[in-house]
Amino acid sequence: MVGPEMHARRVGPAAGRGGASLDQPFGPDDLYALRAAVAAHAAHLGAPPDRVAHVVIVAGELASNVVRHGGGRGRLRLSWVDGAVRCEVSDEGPGIPDPDGAGKRPPSVLALGGRGLFIVRRLAASLTIRNTGRGTTVTALVTVPDPRS
Amino acid sequence: MENPRSVEELGPGDHACLTFTDPDERLDIVAAFVRSGLDQGHKVLCFTDSVPADRLPDELELRSVEALDAIRRGQLAVRGSDRAWFADGRPSARRMVDLLAGQLDLAAREGYPVLRMTADMCWAVRPVPAIDQLRAFESQVGALFADGRLAAICQYDRDSFDAVTLAFAAAAHTRAVAAAVYHEDPILRICRQHSPPGVRAAGELDFTRAEPLIQALAESLRLDHHITVNLVQLRYIDAACVSLIIHTARSLRDDRRLTVICQGLVREMFALVDTDEIPTLRVQTVHGRA
Repeated sequence: MVGPEMHARRVGPAAGRGGASLDQPFGPDDLYALRAAVAAHAAHLGAPPDRVAHVVIVAGELASNVVRHGGGRGRLRLSWVDGAVRCEVSDEGPGIPDPDGAGKRPPSVLALGGRGLFIVRRLAASLTIRNTGRGTTVTALVTVPDPRS
Repeated sequence: MENPRSVEELGPGDHACLTFTDPDERLDIVAAFVRSGLDQGHKVLCFTDSVPADRLPDELELRSVEALDAIRRGQLAVRGSDRAWFADGRPSARRMVDLLAGQLDLAAREGYPVLRMTADMCWAVRPVPAIDQLRAFESQVGALFADGRLAAICQYDRDSFDAVTLAFAAAAHTRAVAAAVYHEDPILRICRQHSPPGVRAAGELDFTRAEPLIQALAESLRLDHHITVNLVQLRYIDAACVSLIIHTARSLRDDRRLTVICQGLVREMFALVDTDEIPTLRVQTVHGRA
């Protein structure tokens, strides 16, 4: 397995807030390392443990979607934006049908799939899905409580 | 010695060796051995060391063994190594074999057809000259199994014993017992849980490892009426694998249950998926128990 340090590229300030903290390409064999990197960086950005878990769930589901349906390889960027951890996952896959409606309805209890985006929408303060013609970029914001309040 | 057997296959006359690294797996197999003995009307004697004697009954209760009732009616006895091996300060194989022979006779007088004994052998790695007595015990105790009234599991922690002693222990027993492992790598371990029966997973579980989860759930569906999916040591699960577990619960008839035991992020994933509509699924939270 590839460790996070082998791919991760720090592009922001060490403390994270104010710039991209993590910019990491991934493929089918990198999901474990990717989650480990996301957890470490979300904590570094100041997220408390329960919100670190939310960021890991969001990043994990978006990355899984890329590996399963989005061409197999993608790129994840994590940054701090106005009281939230911003998680952007992009790929060069065929795109997500109905980007505005995807994951908005709870999947049928009979369904084997389709819960990933539903869970992401429940955890994220906002979710944007953009089909670019060359692939898809999904951006989720997970709010983080201000430790001073 | 033949390939390891499942604990359910052990019976009178078997002198089995359990080598383990995961303490939870050890307790699971011990619990299954004790529960099976209690169900069959055997007398059961547990010698414990790494888990204190006053805590082992609670650990058994947590694993669906009605240990406290069995202790009250005299069918189950739990003793610490100090009261057995170190009764006069020095371990003695002869004294232990005599003690077991006495317990075998006592069980017969009390009307029990079989005595089940399980012993945590890690007392032998204390800083006293004990390994020679351990070896002597394992060699001499074999005679007690001859008439089919004794069944035993001796537990060896692979992290505590040296390779030479473990090899000797394996050779001195007529059987080896082990958990069925469906998948094991540095990220994830999925094995069968014996008591309560079902599946146990530890580590991180995502769709890339769905196949062994499907296999484990399918086997539990075939073997068990109610299914316990123990995810207490699982740190991560993705929506695809949550869906597989939900799908398994939904496939059960109304008189069967699938119970998920979990904590932390895994508990949150099940909370995020609405499971209230599935009457055959229970999700239980534990705090800090492995």
